[in-house]
Amino acid sequence: MDSDNPRVHEQAPGTVSVVIVDDHGIFRSGLRAALGAVIDVLGEAATVEEAETVITATAPDVVLLDVHLPGGHGGGGAEVIHRCVRRGTTSRFLALSVSDSAEDVVAVIRAGARGYVTKTISGPEITDAVQRIASGDAVFSPRLAGFVLDAFGTTSVAVDDELDRLSARELEVMRLIARGYSYKETAKELFISVKTVETHVSAVLRKLQLSSRHELTRWATERKLL
Amino acid sequence: MIAGVCAGLAVHLGISRSWVRVGMVILTFASGAGIVLYAWLWIFVPTAADRAAEAGRKSGPAAFMHGVGADPGLLTRSGDRGGNAGHGRAGRCGPGGMHGRGVPSGVSASSGSGASSGIAGSVLPSDSGIRSGIVGSALPSGLHAPSRAAGSGSTGGSSTPDGVAGSSIPGGSGVPDGIMGGSTGTGSAGSTETATHATTTRPAVGLLDPDAWRDRTVSAGRREILFGTAMLLAAAVLVVQLLGVDVNWGFLVPIAVVATGAALAWSQLDEVRRARVMNRAGAGRVGGTLRLLAGLVLVIAGVLVALSSSGSWTLTVATLVAVLAVLAGVGLVLAPWGLKFWRDLETERAGRVRETERAEMAAHLHDSVLQTLALIQNRADSETDVLRLARAQERELRQWLFADPARDPGSLAERLRVMAGEIEDRYGHPVAVVAVGDAVLGPAEDALAQAAREAMVNAAKHAGVAVSVYLEAGPEIVEVFVRDRGPGFDLSAVPADRLGIRESIHSRMARHGGSSDLRSDEDGTEVRLRLPRPVRSDA
Repeated sequence: MDSDNPRVHEQAPGTVSVVIVDDHGIFRSGLRAALGAVIDVLGEAATVEEAETVITATAPDVVLLDVHLPGGHGGGGAEVIHRCVRRGTTSRFLALSVSDSAEDVVAVIRAGARGYVTKTISGPEITDAVQRIASGDAVFSPRLAGFVLDAFGTTSVAVDDELDRLSARELEVMRLIARGYSYKETAKELFISVKTVETHVSAVLRKLQLSSRHELTRWATERKLL
Repeated sequence: MIAGVCAGLAVHLGISRSWVRVGMVILTFASGAGIVLYAWLWIFVPTAADRAAEAGRKSGPAAFMHGVGADPGLLTRSGDRGGNAGHGRAGRCGPGGMHGRGVPSGVSASSGSGASSGIAGSVLPSDSGIRSGIVGSALPSGLHAPSRAAGSGSTGGSSTPDGVAGSSIPGGSGVPDGIMGGSTGTGSAGSTETATHATTTRPAVGLLDPDAWRDRTVSAGRREILFGTAMLLAAAVLVVQLLGVDVNWGFLVPIAVVATGAALAWSQLDEVRRARVMNRAGAGRVGGTLRLLAGLVLVIAGVLVALSSSGSWTLTVATLVAVLAVLAGVGLVLAPWGLKFWRDLETERAGRVRETERAEMAAHLHDSVLQTLALIQNRADSETDVLRLARAQERELRQWLFADPARDPGSLAERLRVMAGEIEDRYGHPVAVVAVGDAVLGPAEDALAQAAREAMVNAAKHAGVAVSVYLEAGPEIVEVFVRDRGPGFDLSAVPADRLGIRESIHSRMARHGGSSDLRSDEDGTEVRLRLPRPVRSDA
C-alpha cells in the first residue's frame, strides 16, 4: 500500500504530512513540538466540523485524531472519520486518547482508524507510529492488543479467514504486543520478518473493524475502563 | 375436624377428643360461634411443627400477647404430659401442648398466667416431665418469679375445662426459645366466647423483665392485632344477635367490606414507607398495585351495596354506573392537574439529583485535582516531583472517572493495578498494566501477585525505564509478564546470595505449583510467571 498522494503539495521524500485534531490547544502545540523533523504538520483542528474542513482541504497522509471532540453530533473522533470517508478522503487516521476506555477505542477503530495510542506516548514513539500508519500499517499499543485479546478471546483460533476469530499466529503477535514488545522485537521473538508482523497486525485490525461479532460492541460497552 | 384444632385442644385440656368435637359442633349451631372459634384457633395457635421450627431457629424476636376480651376470672392452665405431647397429634394443638413437640428433650413444666389486665404469660424452668399448670388470673406481674414456678408445678394436677391459656418453655433442655401461649375461654354459658391468645416466641433472656413485656406487646405484629380485632368484633356481633338484638346484616356487611378495603389500601402506605426506609425501591410493586386495586374494589363494592341497601341487583348496577360516571368525570377534570403536578415533582427530583452530583464532583475535584495543581506549581523546578504528582493524580482521576463499581477489588487484575500504582509512585517510572481476563484472589493468586510485584520493583529499580505488565488469565492457566526495556543484566553475574529473584519469585511460584523464568538481553528484561489453575470440581 503506497501512501504517496498526488494531491499533496510538494514534500520532501520520506516526510509525512499530518493534521492534528484535538480540542486542547496546549496538547496540539505540545504534539507539534514532539513530532520529529520528518513530520510536516499541515494544520490543526479543534472540533468535528473544523476537522472535516481542514482534512478535506489539506488531504494529509495521516490525521492524529483525538477520540473525544466537541461539535458534530457528539460522535467525536469516530464521527470525523465517518464524515471524511464519506467525502472520499485518502488520509489515514491514528487515534489518540487519554480515556483508555474500551468503548471509545473500539468505536474509533471500527470507524476506520488504523491505530490507537495513548497521549502519554513519547515524541520518538509518536513519530514512529505516524510513519507506520502512513506506510499503510496498523499501530497497536499494548493496551489495544489487550482489548483485542479480551474481545476475541485468547483461545479461539480461526480456521481459514474467519473474521470473528484470530489465527494462532495473530494471537501470538497480539500477546507479544500486549506484553510490551515492539514489532521488531515481536518479529525476532517469533522468528519472522517485521513485514510479516505488520501483515498480521493489519489482519487483526481488519477483523476488529469488519467483524460482525455482536459481542465486540457489547463487550466494549460493558468494559468501561481498562 | 379439619386442621387438627380439636385434637390439639383435647390434648391440651386433657379430655377426650370427641368431647371437644361435640362441643365445637354445639357451638357452631350457636349462631356459628364454633366456626369462629375454630378458625381463630386455627390461625393463631401454631402447629407443633411450627413450634419445632421456631425452637430450632431460636430467633423469635417478639412475643405477643393480646388480651382483648379476656375474662379476668378466667382460669388458665397449661402443661402437658410429656408422653401425651409425644403422641401422633398433628396439625394444630392447644398452646400448652406445644412444648412437648418443640423441645426434643421432652417437656418441662410450665406455667401460664393470665394477668388481670389481659394477659401475661410466663415461662419458668422447672423439672422436666411434670405436668403443671397454674391458676393464673389476676396475678401480679411479679408472677414470673421462680418461686411461683415451684407453686405451679405443684398445682399441675388440676385441670380446668373452661379455659386454656398458657405458655411454656422447656426448662430441662435449656433451650431458650420462647413461649407459645394461647387461651380460649369457652364460657360456661356455652354461647359466648372470649378469647385471649398468646402467640409467637421470644427469647428466654429478658423473660422476667417487665419492660421487655411492654415492648413485646407494642412491637407485636400489627396484622395479628387487626385480625384479632376483626374476629372479636365478629364474635361480639354474633353474641349480640344471640342475645336477641336484631342485627342489620344488610348494613353491617357493607361496612365491614368497606373497612377491609380501606385497611388494605392504607396498609400500602405503611408498606411504601417501610420500603423507603429499607431503601429497596420498586420491591413488591406488583403486590402493592394488587393490594391497592383490591382495596378499591372492596370499598366501591361496599359503598354500593350500602347505598342500595335493598341489595337488589338492578339498583346496584344502576348505582355502579352512576358512580363510575362521576368518577370518570372527576378524573377527566383532575387528570391534567395531576399530570402537571407529577411532572413538576419529577423535574424537581431530577434537578436535585443533578445538583447533588455536581456538588459531589466539585468536592472531588477540589480535593484532588486542584490540590495537585497547586503542588505542581510549587514544585515547578523539580521535574521528577512534577511528573510523579501528575501521574499519581492521573491515575487517581482515571480510577474515579472510569472505575466500574461492580469490579471486584479482590481480583488479581485490580491487585496488580494497585501494586503498579504504588511502584510508579515510589520509583517514578510508569508501570502500565494490561489485563486480559481476570482471576479471583486465592492463596496461589496472591503469591503470583507478590511475585509480580517483586518483578515490577526490580524492573523499576534497576532498569529505570517504563515497565509493561501483562496479565492473561485463561481457564487453565494464569500468566503474568513483567517487561522493561532497560539495559538488561547478566543472569549468571548475579551473586547466589541475592535473594530477590530466587526467593521472592522462583521459590514463591514453585511453592504454589507455578513456575517462573527470566530472560534478560540487550532489548531488556522480562520475567514470566505461570500459575496453572486447578480444575474446579464445581465447574
